[in-house]
Amino acid sequence: MKAISVCALIPRPALRRPALRGYRRYAVQSPGAPTIEVFNNHTKWLQKERAAKDAEKSRQVDYLRDEVASRLCERLLDIKRNFPCVLDLGANACNIAYSLSKPNPYQAEDDLPLSTRIENLTCAESSETLLNRDVSLPFNDALSITRDVLPSLESLPYEPNAFDAVLSSLSLHWINDLPSVLAQINTVLKPDGPFLGVMFGGDTLFELRTSLQLAELDRRGGVSTHTSPLANVSDVGGLLQRAGFKLLTVDVDDIIIDYPNSFALMQDLQAMGESNAVLGREAAGIRRDVLAAADAIYRELHGNQDGSVPATFRLIYMIGWKESPNQAKPLSRGSGMVSIKDVLEGKGDKGGKEGDS
Amino acid sequence: MPPRTRPIEKFAAAVGKCSLESSAYGKCIFADYQNVRKDKCLTEFLRFKECYMAAYRAGK
Repeated sequence: MKAISVCALIPRPALRRPALRGYRRYAVQSPGAPTIEVFNNHTKWLQKERAAKDAEKSRQVDYLRDEVASRLCERLLDIKRNFPCVLDLGANACNIAYSLSKPNPYQAEDDLPLSTRIENLTCAESSETLLNRDVSLPFNDALSITRDVLPSLESLPYEPNAFDAVLSSLSLHWINDLPSVLAQINTVLKPDGPFLGVMFGGDTLFELRTSLQLAELDRRGGVSTHTSPLANVSDVGGLLQRAGFKLLTVDVDDIIIDYPNSFALMQDLQAMGESNAVLGREAAGIRRDVLAAADAIYRELHGNQDGSVPATFRLIYMIGWKESPNQAKPLSRGSGMVSIKDVLEGKGDKGGKEGDS
Repeated sequence: MPPRTRPIEKFAAAVGKCSLESSAYGKCIFADYQNVRKDKCLTEFLRFKECYMAAYRAGK
């Protein structure tokens, strides 16, 4: 019975041939289409909306985003410029705006917060609830914030050469097509404008990843995806270069946070809206057997003496500059006349030439 | 509004009450964690599960 119905669906070769000829195409990627799909953007959006609905809980778990945003803003401090128009790509709850408005503790002679050097900050984010969570808090008065809800962070609706700087904090790790987004960032920047970004990378949450894998192996005899694939430091440099950025700086920072148990870690990740959103993950989530086993393994494999469990967040900071004709250029290889070793040890009679930025 | 306890929070509390069994299971996996296969530590896990299920029921 079944065989007959299947046969009926297959057209005879004579009928099929013209149709095939009609659909024949060159194997060319259509421009703008995402080349790879790793994450489910809709799931991510739902998770962020759900997380931000409980504003109180969502603010409680902002410790990581606030810390990382303030570290990113420290890097912006090093650039002695005014930025009339800045884009914050993947703003979450405008954590960067909050960090910018805080008083600046590092410059004794200039105590003004960084926000005074920025005229307009455009916060772009796909989740409306998360973006507007803190709209009534006092930091919104420190600088003029435009909140833009984008349908997807993968295609930026902005004009070329629109922004003096682009910032991005803890959002790029959910982007499917990172090369395309970085190239778009390069396009919307004005010439000689900096892009400062930070994303989770490499060994982020390796403790959770390994204990879930071991628990699933023992309990179910196989492994499924529970944590995202993440970019490595070496990848990021190549990505920036491919997107056309110049004068690259990439550095890595580990933040290790202790949690009472692995459940607390997972609950906090959920409240941040950072739950698993990999395509093809198990719809039913993790079984309780596996959760309990993973908690036991986490403690035994990675746990601290005092009974808490550490979670590592590896942050990759990237700085790239859009190309401009009057930009400082690296000198050609082999043209250096001053040993950097002597300069750093104070032996050199004159310091090396410093770039203006 | 009283804060609602999520079932998973109750479950986490129950698991937290069984630290001895949990540590025995963890040690069994950790002893040879490069060669884990299905049900490698079944007896330890069942003992652990018995404990946290009892604690879960008692926590109701």
